[in-house]
Amino acid sequence: MLRYVFMQKALLGGMSVALACSLISFFVVTRRLAFMGMGISHAAFGGVGLGLAAGLDATVTAGFFCVAVALGVGWLARRGRMHEDTTIGILFTASMALGALVVGLARRYNLDLMSYLFGSVLAMSWGDVIAAAVLSLLVCLFTAAFFKELLFVAFDEETATASGLPVRSVYYGMLTAMALVIVVSIKLVGIILVSALLVMPAATGLQLSRDYRKVIAFAVLDGLASMALGLWLSYVADVPPGATIVMVMFGFFLLAMALSPRRLLRSP
Amino acid sequence: MSPRTCRVSEFFSGESEGPRRVIELRDVRVERDGRVVLDGITFTVEEGAFLGIIGPNGAGKTTLLKAILGLIRPSRGEVRVLGMAPQQLRRELHHIGYMPQQVLFDPVFPVSVFDVVMMGRACCIGTLRHPSRKDREAVLESIRAVGLEGLERRPIGELSGGQQKRAFLARALCLETRILLLDEPCAGLDVEAQEAFLALLAELKERRGLTVVFVSHDVATLARHADSIVCINRTMHLHGSPQEVLGSRRLHEAYRCEFDFLAGDGGRSDKGGA
Repeated sequence: MLRYVFMQKALLGGMSVALACSLISFFVVTRRLAFMGMGISHAAFGGVGLGLAAGLDATVTAGFFCVAVALGVGWLARRGRMHEDTTIGILFTASMALGALVVGLARRYNLDLMSYLFGSVLAMSWGDVIAAAVLSLLVCLFTAAFFKELLFVAFDEETATASGLPVRSVYYGMLTAMALVIVVSIKLVGIILVSALLVMPAATGLQLSRDYRKVIAFAVLDGLASMALGLWLSYVADVPPGATIVMVMFGFFLLAMALSPRRLLRSP
Repeated sequence: MSPRTCRVSEFFSGESEGPRRVIELRDVRVERDGRVVLDGITFTVEEGAFLGIIGPNGAGKTTLLKAILGLIRPSRGEVRVLGMAPQQLRRELHHIGYMPQQVLFDPVFPVSVFDVVMMGRACCIGTLRHPSRKDREAVLESIRAVGLEGLERRPIGELSGGQQKRAFLARALCLETRILLLDEPCAGLDVEAQEAFLALLAELKERRGLTVVFVSHDVATLARHADSIVCINRTMHLHGSPQEVLGSRRLHEAYRCEFDFLAGDGGRSDKGGA
């Protein structure tokens, strides 16, 4: 399959985003931001709709939209006026509605939009591959540089704040990183399924270990393996890549559950 | 200064006539959402003292600790910790250990006792740096001090309630800690675990010369360990030795009920209604 340039692009871009998503997924799961991931990814629809209707690069408009929604939800949640899940529920549905309205008004409901919703191996250009690699590298560097702060904040935010750590900056940095990996992943995986990449790898890792180092290692392994296997299956069976990757991930998750030391220990 | 080294701040390294005032509050008022939750709070804590802060539920005890930590700004009055406003504390934070009322962590969070205690050194290690051998030694020393040696690699969620409290105490102690701020550290522990925790605290205080601020609604427990007690219920009701505070009629006014310490149960009998 690697004879085809579109598959080379899909694999290179896919492995980059799988690495970044798996790394970030540890904090998404331990900080219970799974719904936030789903909210940000669905909000991308608003940005994609605006981009398509205005004839701009939809990935760029979706990027701005996602980062704005992520930071907006974070800001509103930290002000404490509203629960985080309520804010996400409002902003992501409003963003999706905006996207649908704009696309409807522009009468440009076309294949482009479908590929953004469900992902396509054909959708990635070399520009997208480079953007995915660069942004994934930035996200990995951010995670490595602020790992101990991210871990402390995820475990016990109050004491982390009291000890003088830059908790607010770490929180907004984390939301921005989430928004960026989502944006670079949607062309391949699609808006509807991309949040799975931010939840399933760490959920799988947590089934297998209670040491964060091993959980992250398993998560990254799961993300990379699911991406490679999913892309290959999608090519062989000629089915959408996003759905295939997510189903492979789900299969690994079920396998990890079956092999979980905790589950085996509980068995008589 | 190397960010890897937790150095003693000038406050402690300088000369001083008599005990240093490590915490000072002058006429502190705290408002939240336009509502006054603390008003007219004035007291000082000297180095090496064990101060108990008591008051009924909702009296503002946790808010008071947060004002001392700089997490909440008073709308009036002044808080000074180690001679400066809490928001200005930088490397001085290495001297302050804080144990919140309840660490609402996920029981399956994949960190060991060692990892949790290492979190306490995060501000000392510095951004963009990783723990050094010195940091790891300090963490192990802190774990030994609270009697959790042998459990370093155990996931925190697998420990008993009392052991978890000890791990969080170790986290608060693993810097150059001189001041310990404890918010209801015995909440949720049975009597035996409470006594064991308090005995450990008394021993650590003596050995390390710690200043302890201990928030509790359990008056009897604090009366046995504290040098002095502040009783608050939104405003300041009393400040004195445990004997003075327990013997005062104003304690009953603060709690709006009668106490029966002579019975030795440390409990209270509601006579006036809460």
